[in-house]
Amino acid sequence: MKSMRVEHHPILGDMEKQQRVTIYFDNQPYEAYKGDTIASALLASGVRTLRVHEDKETPRGIYCNIGHCFECRVTVNGVNTVRACVTSVEENMVIESGKSFATSSQKGGQL
Amino acid sequence: MSCDQTVICRCEEVTMSEIQETANRYKCSSREVKLRTRAGMGPCGGRTCRSMIDRLVEQVGGPSVSHEVPLSYRPPVRPISFGVLGGEAK
Repeated sequence: MKSMRVEHHPILGDMEKQQRVTIYFDNQPYEAYKGDTIASALLASGVRTLRVHEDKETPRGIYCNIGHCFECRVTVNGVNTVRACVTSVEENMVIESGKSFATSSQKGGQL
Repeated sequence: MSCDQTVICRCEEVTMSEIQETANRYKCSSREVKLRTRAGMGPCGGRTCRSMIDRLVEQVGGPSVSHEVPLSYRPPVRPISFGVLGGEAK
């Protein structure tokens, strides 16, 4: 997917080329730059759904984007409830989206 | 989309109509609304919706609603994991 970054801004100028890093979101590699948050890197790559609601399975993504609301929580390198909007990307970071725990997704309650 | 379907508590996905119905039916405090619907009990700790729940209950309320027990703040101020609380390296 084409990057959604603002590379040439009429007031802020051209985007400074930062050090490129690769992050993995649900096993897919994505391009990110040093200084990106997980949320900004994924948004720039067109990923807007970071998880689904645990019960209702409705999609969730960036909401407050200041670390307040926990809507963008993801699992990072095995640690859960990490806020994508305030966590900086690191090389080879493994990120997993939040999954549903709904009984409807558990095949009739069978685990 | 009807404004009744507006999600007030996003963590627990509780809509405006659910909160209003609960407040109407049980004529209860915002704390009881929280306990009945789980609104405000998600990972953000009610920091996003607390004041909205309080206002909605107030609107429905009338004199029979007691505000003696509002939605309370409890430590820690920010939601953190037990691991971090227990000194686990970040």
